[in-house]
Amino acid sequence: MANKHRNLFLKVEAFHIKFGSILRPIDNHVDMKVLRPLTKFILLAFILSVLSCREGSAGKTPARPVQVPSSPAKSRIKFAQGFTIDYFDRYKEVKILNHSAGSADTLDYLLLPAGVAIPAGHAHAQVIRIPVQSMIVLGSPHIAQADFAGVADRITGVGDGQYIVCPVVREGLRTGRVRQVGLESGLNNELVISMRPGVLMTMTNPDAAFGGYRTLMDAGIPVLPNADWLETTPLGKAEWVKLMGALTDREDLVNRKFDSVEQAYQRLAAIGKASAIRPSVIIGMPFKGTWYMPAGDSYVAQLLRDAGANYHWSDTKGTGSLALNFETVAPVALTADFWLDVGDVDSKKEILSRDTRYEAFRAFRSGAVYSYNRRVNAAGASDYWESGAVNPQSVLADLIRILHPDALPADTLIYYKQIK
Amino acid sequence: MVSAATSLLNARDLQTGYRSGAKRIIVANALPELQLQAGQLICLLGPNGSGKSTLLRTLGGLQPPLGGVIHIEGMDRWTPATLARKISLVLTDRVSGNNLTVDSLVALGRYPWSGWLGGLNATDRASIEWAMKATGIGSLRDRKIHTLSDGQSQKVMLARALAQDTPILMLDEPTAHLDLPSRILLMRLLHRLARETRKAILLSTHELDLALQVADEVWLLQSGGQLRSGAPEDLVLNGSFESAFAGEEVAFDKGSGNFLIYTPQDKPIRVTGEGLTLFWTRRALRRAGFEPVATASLHIHAEERDGRPVWLMEQQRETREFDSIQKLLQAIS
Amino acid sequence: MTATPFSKVRLTGLLLLLLLAFLLDLSTGTVHISLKEILRVFFSPATADPIGQFIIKGIRLPKACTAVLAGCGLSVGGLQMQTLFRNPLADPSILGVTAGASLGVAAVMLAGGSMATLYAIKELGVSGSWLIIAAACVGAGSTMLLVLLLSRRLRDNVMMLIVGIMIGSITLALISIWQYFSNPEQVKDYLLWNFGSLGGVTGGQLLILAVVVVIGLIVASLSAKMLDALLLGENYARSMGLSARKARAVIICSTSLLAGSITAFCGPIGFIGIAVPHIARFLFNTASHRILIPACCLIGTILLLLCDTFAQLPGTQTVLPINIITSLIGAPLVVILLLRQTTVHSW
Repeated sequence: MANKHRNLFLKVEAFHIKFGSILRPIDNHVDMKVLRPLTKFILLAFILSVLSCREGSAGKTPARPVQVPSSPAKSRIKFAQGFTIDYFDRYKEVKILNHSAGSADTLDYLLLPAGVAIPAGHAHAQVIRIPVQSMIVLGSPHIAQADFAGVADRITGVGDGQYIVCPVVREGLRTGRVRQVGLESGLNNELVISMRPGVLMTMTNPDAAFGGYRTLMDAGIPVLPNADWLETTPLGKAEWVKLMGALTDREDLVNRKFDSVEQAYQRLAAIGKASAIRPSVIIGMPFKGTWYMPAGDSYVAQLLRDAGANYHWSDTKGTGSLALNFETVAPVALTADFWLDVGDVDSKKEILSRDTRYEAFRAFRSGAVYSYNRRVNAAGASDYWESGAVNPQSVLADLIRILHPDALPADTLIYYKQIK
Repeated sequence: MVSAATSLLNARDLQTGYRSGAKRIIVANALPELQLQAGQLICLLGPNGSGKSTLLRTLGGLQPPLGGVIHIEGMDRWTPATLARKISLVLTDRVSGNNLTVDSLVALGRYPWSGWLGGLNATDRASIEWAMKATGIGSLRDRKIHTLSDGQSQKVMLARALAQDTPILMLDEPTAHLDLPSRILLMRLLHRLARETRKAILLSTHELDLALQVADEVWLLQSGGQLRSGAPEDLVLNGSFESAFAGEEVAFDKGSGNFLIYTPQDKPIRVTGEGLTLFWTRRALRRAGFEPVATASLHIHAEERDGRPVWLMEQQRETREFDSIQKLLQAIS
Repeated sequence: MTATPFSKVRLTGLLLLLLLAFLLDLSTGTVHISLKEILRVFFSPATADPIGQFIIKGIRLPKACTAVLAGCGLSVGGLQMQTLFRNPLADPSILGVTAGASLGVAAVMLAGGSMATLYAIKELGVSGSWLIIAAACVGAGSTMLLVLLLSRRLRDNVMMLIVGIMIGSITLALISIWQYFSNPEQVKDYLLWNFGSLGGVTGGQLLILAVVVVIGLIVASLSAKMLDALLLGENYARSMGLSARKARAVIICSTSLLAGSITAFCGPIGFIGIAVPHIARFLFNTASHRILIPACCLIGTILLLLCDTFAQLPGTQTVLPINIITSLIGAPLVVILLLRQTTVHSW
């Protein structure tokens, strides 16, 4: 927030310096004492109004009104392992990689500006014309990624409208500019084809039945699995915004924003890891006796390590979840200091209604129960899954504030709330 | 055990049949007043399709009559539970595939009398023992019913009905699937039971011959749904049997009490002789199509020589001798 | 048909086996707790380790109790169905009641499972597992009423059987449609529910399940005599004083209560209903339901406790769904039984 004010101040000064020379002749005729403060006020008002028009949702780094043409800026992928971007003379090549099950499948995409011919030697690649002007996205993180890059207004279709938090898209749904096309096997192929989006982004695993999208690909619509959820680190997850940047020629903006996200994250992680006390943590709630606990190589475990938590399963192998029975978790759960990510419950009473045995957990008794449903839309969908995907620094900040209340300057939580 | 000469069941203006949706299919209409007396064995006879089973099921309470009134020991209304203490049934239903022992099955007969959970007291066990003794199946007590022969399992079902200790017992074709000796034994048993226990026993059967011998009363159902009742001999003498079973190829013979199969009798023959040999020779010749005519040129004489039957055939002054009917018939046919 | 000394000996033997199986189930789990420790938890709780107490009393004991209730209820339900329909392959789900419960659950998880609806329902105060249970009960209850209504109009039991199977098919088709249009999360939730689980029933839920199952078992016991009469077929049963309609209504009520409640709380659990009556008949060599009903309770409980013990996969941290284990253990058992039968006729 301090940045905003500082930059604003700089702008006013710059404007003043540039245009002050025009006003000087006026100065000679008007009383200086009145005009200078007035000028400053008018300039300030003007700039503020310009900026507020472009303000994104509260809590995010504000989008700037900077024009980014087909820039020569390139994105370097540092954390994400699910995709690569290669820059060539006149086009870009994106590879979506599949690491699961040790297979070496790669999906190939050629991002070509209008008018550029398809280069030889890429028989299996799908072609996406950039900059993409319209896109259909099926996942919540995709919407946040688009918003991060400032292109939320280019979304013309979503899978299911009730899960969406971003105001631009919600407004689009209300006016009809944005259509609902259905999810997974319920995808309305005909609707998608008639909308002719620049690209369709799915949430599926890259190796999953891609054949289901054959119809769309044959109709000339590029299908891109945007599987940020397969990443094992929070920064890697967020870095998928660079893909959005490459598709819309906004690398410059995206890279800059991501750099600040990365810096903020690393700074917070240093604080978290340096903390002397490591409170113990359990995650989630079981379903019918099976407790899915994030495995040691998952991004949740990484977040917990960066937040300075003591996570019992931090050393386990696997990037997904461990299916544990209640009995295995119980000894840890009974004595854990904090209970996080309990899902979309709003009260301790509600938690008890799921199972009366939670009453015995220490974290429950001391009130140290938190969940990520502070920001929800009207239907109850949490923004944690949307903008939280591209703001790992905010998620980490929340976690550190919860686990180490004195480590950071006091502030309200963004995504998490305490369950009372 | 019931006192003598009591009318246990009385049915008036009875109409038997089925309801199929809204339709009424009447099987028997013009039934006279029917009565079951204690100590009597009544046989229900009639050609196939005359409605014997329907009548039996109606009287036994398995299906409601389409019309008329049935009184049982004075009651004209009952629940299945009260009826079960008055009438017990032996049906043609197959009872198998249920792992029951003979003892358990007979014990089921006590259903209308046993306790809440089916517990049996001393009276119940006494009835069961008596029923098993009366039918002679005591040695089969622990056998599974699917291991029994047809005759044995029929006795078991009868024992079950006896164990139910009701004044009226009804049986639907109890002699079907039994061999001849078993049939005779069963009919004899029923006849004796009626006398000894004073129960009223009603059974439907095709065994004309046996029915004529053991029934105290016969109900003869004809194809049109009409019923003639009376002592079997009365029904023979007044021609009811003849008309009931009259057909193109078959006739009831009053004289012998048997059914006769018609064969065209177009060959004249003169038969003489005496005794049993003459009687059986006449039958054989009838089967072969010969008609006894006094003036026929062909003459058969049946006589006995040294204790053996001998047949002499005379034809146009020729005489031949035969020592068996078979050879005789071969010669003259 | 009274309980012979032979039966009494076997019944007591089974009771002992039941106790053993119960203790075995209590001692099996991821966390190693010795038998001594278990006894200490029950008899001198003050000296027992709190974590061990929580695990035994809070996790394993409710699960074992659920296994007892489900084992009794499903096997007695299966016995009733096999006798009523004179079909050795019948099980409690044959009336379609289990499918009705699944329909209710699917309606909540899949179709009406949109977040807005769930949010709205939460506002009403019904949430969590109670919602699922209530939906399953509504589904099972509606199916039971439908079956009862139809049973009054249908003449014989073969028709009832067909109706029950048809109801099952229709509900499964509806559930499939919903699954087709749901997102993977919802489908996985439903799939997990469908695998069955004895572990999710605690506290107030266990109490309600116990009450309903006990009521169902009492009604079943009262119908023991009717079931005996039905062994000879409907005509003979009627001639012995049994009202076919009343018998059908009582038996359907009892089975629906048992199968419906167990499915609502635990999800569908298969195989116990088919296999246990056969085992009981084989062991006790009788057809009398006075003996078979308690026998089925005991055998069903023992079997389900053993299946639950195996489902824990001792030593590992995963738990297999109970449905898988009951089939893996139940099917070979029935085959072994069949091979030892001397004829095909007796079952």
